[in-house]
This record gives sequence, C-alpha cells and structure tokens, in this order.
Amino acid sequence: MTGLHARTALTLAALAAALAGAALLALMVGTRPLAPAQAWAALVQPDAADPAHVVLRQLRLPRLAAGLVAGAALGMAGVLMQAVTRNPLAEPGLLGVNAGASFAVVLGAFLFGVNDSAALSALAFPGAALAAAAVFVLGGAGRGGAGPVRLTLAGAALTALLMSLVGALVLVRTEALEVWRFWVVGSLADAGSRPLAMMAMVALAGGLLALALGAALDALALGEEAARSLGARTGWVRAGTLAAVTALCGAAVSLAGPVAFLGLMAPHLARALVGPGVRPMLLAAGLIGPLVLLLADVAGRVALPPGEVRVGVMTALLGGPVFILVARRMRLGAPA
Amino acid sequence: MTGLRAENLTLAYDRRIVVEGLTLALPAGRVTAILGPNGCGKSTLLKALARLIRPQAGRVTLDGEDIHALPTRAVARRLGLLPQAPIAPEGITVGDLVARGRAPWRGLLAGWSAADEAARAAALAATGLTDLAARPVADLSGGQRQRVWIALALAQQTEHLLLDEPTTWLDLPHQIEVLALLRRLNREQGRSIVTVLHDLSLAARFADHLVLMAAGRVLAEGTPEEVLTPGALEDAFGLRALVIADPVTGTPLVVPA
Amino acid sequence: MSRGLSLLAAALLLACLLGLAVGEVLLGPADLWRGLLTGEGPGGFTLRVLRGPRVATGALAGAALGMSGAIFQSVLRNPLAAPDVMGFTAGAGLGALAVAGFGAGAGLSVTLGAAAGGAGAAVAVALLALTREGLVPLRLVLVGIGAGFTLTALTGFAMTRLPGPEAMEAQRWLSGSLAARTWGHAGQIALTALPLALLTAALVPALALLEMGDDLAAGLGLRVQRARAGLAALGVALAAAAVAVAGPVPFIALMAGPLARGALRRAGTAGPGAVLAGAALTGATIAVLADLAARAAVPGVQLPLGVMTGILGAPCLLWLLTREMERGGL
Repeated sequence: MTGLHARTALTLAALAAALAGAALLALMVGTRPLAPAQAWAALVQPDAADPAHVVLRQLRLPRLAAGLVAGAALGMAGVLMQAVTRNPLAEPGLLGVNAGASFAVVLGAFLFGVNDSAALSALAFPGAALAAAAVFVLGGAGRGGAGPVRLTLAGAALTALLMSLVGALVLVRTEALEVWRFWVVGSLADAGSRPLAMMAMVALAGGLLALALGAALDALALGEEAARSLGARTGWVRAGTLAAVTALCGAAVSLAGPVAFLGLMAPHLARALVGPGVRPMLLAAGLIGPLVLLLADVAGRVALPPGEVRVGVMTALLGGPVFILVARRMRLGAPA
Repeated sequence: MTGLRAENLTLAYDRRIVVEGLTLALPAGRVTAILGPNGCGKSTLLKALARLIRPQAGRVTLDGEDIHALPTRAVARRLGLLPQAPIAPEGITVGDLVARGRAPWRGLLAGWSAADEAARAAALAATGLTDLAARPVADLSGGQRQRVWIALALAQQTEHLLLDEPTTWLDLPHQIEVLALLRRLNREQGRSIVTVLHDLSLAARFADHLVLMAAGRVLAEGTPEEVLTPGALEDAFGLRALVIADPVTGTPLVVPA
Repeated sequence: MSRGLSLLAAALLLACLLGLAVGEVLLGPADLWRGLLTGEGPGGFTLRVLRGPRVATGALAGAALGMSGAIFQSVLRNPLAAPDVMGFTAGAGLGALAVAGFGAGAGLSVTLGAAAGGAGAAVAVALLALTREGLVPLRLVLVGIGAGFTLTALTGFAMTRLPGPEAMEAQRWLSGSLAARTWGHAGQIALTALPLALLTAALVPALALLEMGDDLAAGLGLRVQRARAGLAALGVALAAAAVAVAGPVPFIALMAGPLARGALRRAGTAGPGAVLAGAALTGATIAVLADLAARAAVPGVQLPLGVMTGILGAPCLLWLLTREMERGGL
C-alpha cells in the first residue's frame, strides 16, 4: 500500500509542478508577451507606472485565478458526477447546471437588458443552483431516493427544456441573442469584473465537502446495497454530493461561462494516472482541470491573432480529439 | 471427417492469446461437456466452434469443410449456439421469441411457413412450454426462461447445438432439469450437443464425453471415468479431490479434499 | 394493423386536421372540409398554399426522424439513443451555419447544408469508432460524444464571428423550421424518406435478431457487423432526409420511439416492425403539433419548430421516465 501511496503522491506532485508551469505561461503569453523575469518582478515588486506590470496585475492575474478556480471546480465536479451516477460518461452539465445558468443569463438579458459581465456572472450562479435543485427533486429525491439512472434522465430532460426556452427567448429578442452567443462559449477574458473572491470561497466549500465524501463515494461505487452494508447512508451521500457538485459547477459557470467537456475529460485522465479511488481522483482532477483550462486559454490567446479564441471553444477543440483517441484505445468488445 | 472439429486452433483477443494449438474432435451424436477453470478459454473455444471468432491460426471444420468458408446462413442451419447472456426483447412472448429461432430458414421477404410453425410447435413441446407460449418471457422463472432459450435453439433445427454455461444462475433442481432436457434431446432427436459446464459431477452424470481444459489447452478428454481423475483435477484446477462413484448413477463424483 | 398502431394513426390524423385548421385564420370544420375536398372557399388558399405543404412536410420529416431514432434505440439497445449519438445533430448545426452564415457551398440551401453536415459527422464518427473489433456500440457512443462536443464548440465559435443579423438568421436555422415550406419540400421528403423506410422494413428481421445480443444473432445466421452498419446508415440517411427539409429539429428522434413503445405495449406486445412504424407515426404527430404550437404560441412571432419540440418534448420525456420508473422499468 505504501508504494501505491508514494506513487500517487509523486503523480500529484508532478501535476502540481506542471500546473505551476502553466500558470507562469498564462501570465507571460498574450498580445503583450512578458519575459519570466518581468512577470516575476510584476508579482513581487509591482510598479504602477510600468504598463506591463499593470497588464499583468489587472488583467492576467485575475484571469489566471479564475482559470485555476473554474478548472479545479469542473475537474472535481466531474469526478463526483461519475461516482454518484456510476456512469463513466456523466459530466457536470448533466445536472442541468449549464442549462440553468444559460437560462438565467438569457432571461436577464431578455427581461432587463442585462449585458455586463459582472451582472451575467451574478445571474449564472443562482440559475445553475436552481436547475441542479430541480433535477434533484425531479430525479426522485422522495420515495426510494434519487437513483443514478433517474438523475441522469431528469438532468437530460431539464437541460433540453431549458435550452429550448433559451432558443425561444433569443429568437424573440435580438439583444438576448447578442449576449448569449458570446457568453455561451465560455471565456476567462473578463475575469477581473467577476465575483472572484466569493466564487472561490463557494468552490472551496464544495471541494472540501467533496473530499469529505470521498470514502462514502468509494463505497457507493460498489452498488447501492453493498454501500449500505458498508455503513454508508446512501441518500445523504447522494444529497451531499449533489450539493458539492452544485457549488463547484455554479462557481465555475459563474467565473468562466459554460466550459464544456472539461468535467468529462479530467476524471478520465485522473483515473488513468491515479487509479479509481475517489479521493486521489478528486485531487488529481482538481489539478488536471486547471492545467487543461489554462493551457487552452493560453492557446486561445495565440491561435488567431489579433483576436482570441474563447476558452470553452479551445477546451472542446483540444479535448474532443483526445477523448476520441482514448475511446479508440479502450478495451470494450472482448471479455476480460 | 464428419462432425465438428478444431484443428490446431489458436484464438486471441487483440494480441492476448487465449487458446493455442488446440486440436479436438467432438463426437457426433453425443453429449459433450467442456470443463475447466475460469479463464481457461472454454467459452472462447465455443465461440470459435460457432464461427463467432475468426481463428488466428488453424481452423474449425464442419463435416470436413472450413467453417469460415461456408456462408453464414448455411452454418446457422447446421449449428446453433446459445450464448451465456442472451437478451430477451422487452415484452416479448415465449412463442414470439422461439419463432426468432427460425431466422436462418426464412427468406428475406418470406412469410411464416407451415414448416416454421411445425418447428416452433415441436420446440415448444420438447421443452414443455406449449402451454406457456402466450406468456411474456419476463413473467417466467429462471428455469423456465432457460428452457425458452433452448427452445429457440431447437426451433433452429440444427444437428449441432452449442451451449455456453446453460445452467449458471439456476438452482440445483433447475440445473438438473435443463441437463436432463439436453440429454433427452440428444437421445430422442440424435442432435450433437456441446456444452460448457461448471459443475464437474453434474457434467459426469449427464455427458457422454468430457473435455477438460486448462490454460488454453486440452488436458484430457474421454469418458467421465477417464477424465475425472484426482491427478487431472489437480493439474487443471490445482484442486486436491477424491473421486468416488456416485451412489445413484455410478458416474464419477468429485469430493474436494 | 394492431390496435396500438391504429390508435397512433388516428392521433396523427387528428393532429394533421388541427394543424390545417388552426393558424392566423381559424377554419371551422365546415370550411376545412370544403377546402380539403374542393380546394375552394375560405379555406382553399390557406390549405393549398400555406398550411397544406407545411403540414405534409412536417409530418413526413417527423416520421423520418421518429423512425431514425427508433432504429438507433434498437441497434444500440439503449432507450435513449438517437442519431445524436453519432454526432448527427451537432454536425447538422455546423453544416447549417456554414451555409447560412458564411456562404459555404454556394447554391446549397441551408437545410441541405445541415443534412450534409449531419451525415458527414455520422460517417466520420463511424470511421473513427471502427476498430479491429468492428463497430462496438459503446465505442460508437463515446466517439460520438467527443465529436459532438467538438462540433458544438465550433458552432459556438462560428456564432461569435457573425454580425448580429446573420447570427439571428443562423440561430433560426439551428433549431429547425417549417416556415414557408412548399409542395416541393413535401415532394422531396416523400421521395427520399419513403424508399429509405421500405429498405428499413426489409431489415426488420435483422433488427429482431440484433435485439437478442450479438452472439445469438450471429448464431442465427446474421452478419452482425454488416446488419448493424446497414441499419445505422439507414438511420442517418432518414435523419438527413428530414433535416434537408426542416433543419436540425431536436428531440423528435429521441422521443418518438419511447412514446410509441409505451402506447403499443399498453395495447399488447410490440415487435420491432411495429415499433418502427409506431415511432414514425408518433414522430409525425409530434412534428405537426409542435409546429402548430410554434405558430400559435407567441402572437405575431413564428418560433422555429425545434424550439417547440424541446419545450413540449422535455416534460413529455420526464413524464415517461417517471412512469417507467414507477413500474420498475429502470
């Protein structure tokens, strides 16, 4: 066992080092590239008169922080969703969070003409949370508890409903479409204007709850009855997990918009690196998520100069082919 | 060169070799049971015999012809397979499910013929399911359900019938019921039956010919008395056991030591 | 025809009559009857030029989508499968956008662009999912998901690059629409979907075998890989035929099969042939009703069909799931 733990620790350390590298890259790369020494100087000895320092502290630093929080939150939420639904294809969006946030944002734009980044960000979180709560109730929190299949289906149905409503609203009012089509691809660019500190706290609470539930989720992976016989109170575990997912995803969608795919991809990479235990997977996915997100964000900044490709697009463009490659290599057909 | 034979057969999933250089002649008109520890390749062998897997080397022959050189439907008219976990479509009745066994005999646009109906009726009668024909399969007990799948294979009217662990998940009376049915089909209708089984003593009771496999090879074959020896069991399963005469039938009875 | 199918056919007939009668000009039963029989009277023009082709196109496209979904549900043995699992809808959206917003493939209509995009995505997914083991259903689904995410992201990206008015137009196309359909559209979908439906009917026996698992089907003389590929190709072609006249309408393919299955089972047992026919009838009914709702929901605004299929379909799906669950089906 000690050997295994040592290997996991080593893997996590390597991921953390890679993440630190990606963070440095995120500070340096952009329309105004900075050398590592400059970036360092701006961090430790800021000079308000140096425009490079201003760019770094006011634009890139919040952007980096938002990327770290949103990426870690999505990676961990993905692990939780797959554990609680016992479905390797589950992703946080299945709980309806992205659709709920979309609907809230569009409704705000439709009814009140909301279009600034801070207000949209503030709308996204309650939208996401309400949708998740609705899925939990529809998924049968009552009699018999929320089974994994039922949750998945309720999430899919609510997502479809909300996205259709979004479709109707944006077609009736042009302003709503204008807001929505830019918000929906996900971006870290306006991070400075978003409620960074608050969402970081929310995500932290969700992350701690997730880690606390790790052992119970390991038991749940063996099936409902086995989990009960191991002493897990499955109803509460599920409710707690969904609360954690809601906090994590709500924070992520509020900070970065609906970044697709990361929540699905990070758990798969994490499982390949540290094995199937929920707690090591949470830690690994919490590092892989921001690593991928920051790299996608950096790639988006340099892909199509002078503009930027938004981070949600870059994540799916980079992640989709990787996921297909993984799927091709998986052993599925032959019996073990 | 009649019957079903495996000649120097090597079977693999991707690069993992499961069965290597296996040669085996399955006696025509008899009940053969294939035995062996989990993962020894017995189910894989059965699939290869049924033409579901293409061998990496060697071949399977049916009455002397390479089974992969024959058309799919032609094989399906001579050789039936009941896999380990067939899926009953939702809401289907016993009669409708058994009728699907007629697939290899029906043309693309042909209707349900008198011969089809006769085959279905005979299959239902042989398995004692005639009275249950209109019932949904989902309402039946495990033993009855297994009889429905066997009836489907019977309606296929093949001279060879291959079954992959047909008694798994059944309680002892139902295991005996299924095996007795298979032997009766063999004795009364002359079909050659090859079945993968787990229970050694039951296999000895109901099969004429045993094939004992381990690690992708045939360790021993012959009558139950010839195959089920303490030495062979030790070699195949790593199991120390006594073999005594079954007090009821006189066939070998394996008693783990 | 079984009792269940007769019921579904009656529902479709009712939906069509409703679709013809209701709109900005409301036709009473007498006017509707006279217009249908003679083409004269107050309803004549409305029926012949405005609503007739629209209802016919909608019904046929809905039927094709319903059948397509039912094929995928049987072939993949998954009650929630649809051509979407092969990235079809995502590809269709990108195809529509490429034509509508960026003028790709000059001369191609937007809907044809969508059909080409959808079919192209499905073929690409099938090729990417093909390994030495053949087409394994689960791998197909996985690759389809990966491709779907990528294509959706590209669509989202393309939307951010469009000027406002073009974005509005593209958004309209992205959800599918039956506005301003002519008899030409109805003829096009009839000529493409009917032969495909006949081919599908010829493969019903293969579908019946596939339902019981690959091994048993192969043991009964079916060439499993070939049958599965053929059926999936028909499913994609049917969806493409529908999308070519109505745009990428969501939800009908997913919903028609389970609804039809439920109705048919209540009226007795259902073989794969009856389920396919039932899904076609149900899909047609949903399309006609959803289009009616899209015309009538917001006065003065014609919403696209696809918006309404989602708004109507989602509660329907939820209800279905809940019922299924209470009976212990899931």
